[in-house]
Amino acid sequence: MSSYPFGARAPMRITFSLGLVVLAVFALLPAVAVFVISFTDIRGLPGIPVNWVGFDNYERFFSAAKIGYNLNALKNTLIYAVVSTVAINLLGLAIAVLLNQKLRGRTFSRAVVFLPTILGVTVIGLIWSLFFNPSAGPAASIWSWFGADSAFFGDPNLALALVIFVQIWAGLGIAVVIYLAGLQAIPEELQEAASIDGASGGQRMRLITVPLLAPSITANVLLAIVGSLQSYQLAYVLTGPNNPATQLLSLAIFAQGFGGSSASGLGQSQGYAATISVIQFVIVSIASLLVLWYLRRREAKL
Amino acid sequence: MAKRHVLGAIGGAAALVLLAGCSGGSSTPAESGKVTGTLHILVSSAAASDKAFKDLNAEFVKKYPDVKVDFSAVPNANFAASRSSRLTAGNVDITLAAPREMPKYVKNGAVDDDTAAAEAGLFVDLTGQKFLKNFTPSVLDQLTYKGKDYTVPTGLSYYTGVYYNKKIFDENGLKVPTTWSEFENVVSTLKGKGVTPLGIGGKDSWPAGLGMIAAVQGLYPSAEDKNALSKDLWAGKVDLADGKQLEVLQRVKSLYDAAQKNFSGVGYDAIPSEFAKGQVAMTVDGTWNQPTIDAAVNGAFDYGYFPLPASDNAADNKWLGGKVELRMVAASNGPNKAAALAYLAFFSEPAQYAKFVATAGFAPAEPNIPSSDFLKSIEPYTSTFSPAWDTIWRPNPDAGQAALFPFNYPGITPLGTKSVDAAAKDSQTAWQAGL
Repeated sequence: MSSYPFGARAPMRITFSLGLVVLAVFALLPAVAVFVISFTDIRGLPGIPVNWVGFDNYERFFSAAKIGYNLNALKNTLIYAVVSTVAINLLGLAIAVLLNQKLRGRTFSRAVVFLPTILGVTVIGLIWSLFFNPSAGPAASIWSWFGADSAFFGDPNLALALVIFVQIWAGLGIAVVIYLAGLQAIPEELQEAASIDGASGGQRMRLITVPLLAPSITANVLLAIVGSLQSYQLAYVLTGPNNPATQLLSLAIFAQGFGGSSASGLGQSQGYAATISVIQFVIVSIASLLVLWYLRRREAKL
Repeated sequence: MAKRHVLGAIGGAAALVLLAGCSGGSSTPAESGKVTGTLHILVSSAAASDKAFKDLNAEFVKKYPDVKVDFSAVPNANFAASRSSRLTAGNVDITLAAPREMPKYVKNGAVDDDTAAAEAGLFVDLTGQKFLKNFTPSVLDQLTYKGKDYTVPTGLSYYTGVYYNKKIFDENGLKVPTTWSEFENVVSTLKGKGVTPLGIGGKDSWPAGLGMIAAVQGLYPSAEDKNALSKDLWAGKVDLADGKQLEVLQRVKSLYDAAQKNFSGVGYDAIPSEFAKGQVAMTVDGTWNQPTIDAAVNGAFDYGYFPLPASDNAADNKWLGGKVELRMVAASNGPNKAAALAYLAFFSEPAQYAKFVATAGFAPAEPNIPSSDFLKSIEPYTSTFSPAWDTIWRPNPDAGQAALFPFNYPGITPLGTKSVDAAAKDSQTAWQAGL
């Protein structure tokens, strides 16, 4: 007899292994499969012979013909991830602190901030495409007050910034909710005690709020980084699959694997798309692990 | 040991259940003459052809009341993805594909999806089917793959031409241009009068590509010229940043300069209404969009269609480039092959076909079918069929993005960030790197 405290183990083992099976079949197996097919020339249609091509796809990714495009996609992805992560967290924290005050109508304001989160990507795409329509959209009117005009999503120098803006708008709600939850877990007494000791608002923010929010910051930063490194949907619906100005690594995967555009006559190449996924996976894991390591160390220090 | 067994057994059982779920639905097709069940159709969407298909489906169900038609029309950009997943799942009977013979000069890896699929037997071989006799033999001959018929043409489209507002042309004393310098004259006259010459839906990128295809049509007028260009490119014999190839992009840039302000942010769907409101005097577009443009203009003024005169030699600008539209295939692994064949036969009946092309705005691929008034008006440009550049060009998956078409129209400002010369050099570098 062991000293196991929870009675019979069988039910726990069965439920646990069922969960494990679901996870294995829907997450682990596909991940391994992607790695395997990145060494093949598999296409999107059934019945077409699949050949083992070794490292051909990886060589293609780094080939002289493709490397410029891929580095551009990588650069865009990093800009996208860094800017949206920083902005979502700074804005999210500021809004959460504001909405944590005893303001009139704060429940309504919280709902408004959270609203974009429940909209689908396509709906968001439609809203902002209409907003930034260069001939008749509200943004064109605002620009015209200053005697300016712009092609907005059609302007290669502005498109990425606008897509990032929409990503921030869409991702803010979740960050605010997580920060609000974190803020409400901070005991009121600490703030009061600090006030009595003569701490200013800024000091309380810096010395009490932020340190005690550290777990929320870690969660939010990681969510934003992973989300933005993987996100392609907004760039796709706002600027199309083949716009170099907003080409992201994940969008390249989609375009390769499922695009097979009739305009170009190029076929789908899911083998090559899988290769890009594997490379992206490496990049995302390195970035996430580094950030996680850094934030955890900071949490521990505080 | 026992622990591992339990886990293994549960895991194995669960995996089996899941796999069985994935491979289900392999019902045997109704090979008997009776047509019943559900017929699944998947096409790429366009306003006019969607309506034509829906009308046809209604008629089909009238004739075969035991059949239920499940019709999906998905946007062009998502069509390839939808088709691939539905073919993989085996739940589509009729869809679209365009397998084509690969020229010898194309390297092996460059086989496109449709051709590879035909090669793998994914489409039903329709050779010898009686209903194919309804079609014009010379059209069908162009569509065979390795001597076999896999596809049923819905009609022909032309897309190297320019819609023009006759009222604006008359008011400004302009005639239909037949050479490039005349076209430039039209553009500068209109600009001088404060009229925006051209509407382009640049946000979707491919509508700007129509200008590139039209420029190639004038500069490489015959099918032989285009074939030679394609072959020479694959052999690395011609330079994309030089000579006539560079001229193609110069023409494209001139079209961009003639287009409405900020056109790179305007979608394709917005152009018919801009044209109808007289905000732009012309637009480069395909004949497939004529029903939409006609509905937008709604009789407010007369409009016409002429080949973009990209060449300075009027004889080179004589013909419109075109292609066979939306070619239907029956999927070999479709659940209802009997209904699929009945549908194709029904579609091919001259009475049904005439209604279809009239609604879809396609030029008929069957003899003795009356064309629309609009298509009659452009007959001088279409009496000899000239295949457009994109139906001849074979892209190279190993080449860089800038050499996809291979003329780099998306690289030129304001769609891209480059000058004509720099964009052309990019495409030449990207092309060379893939050879």
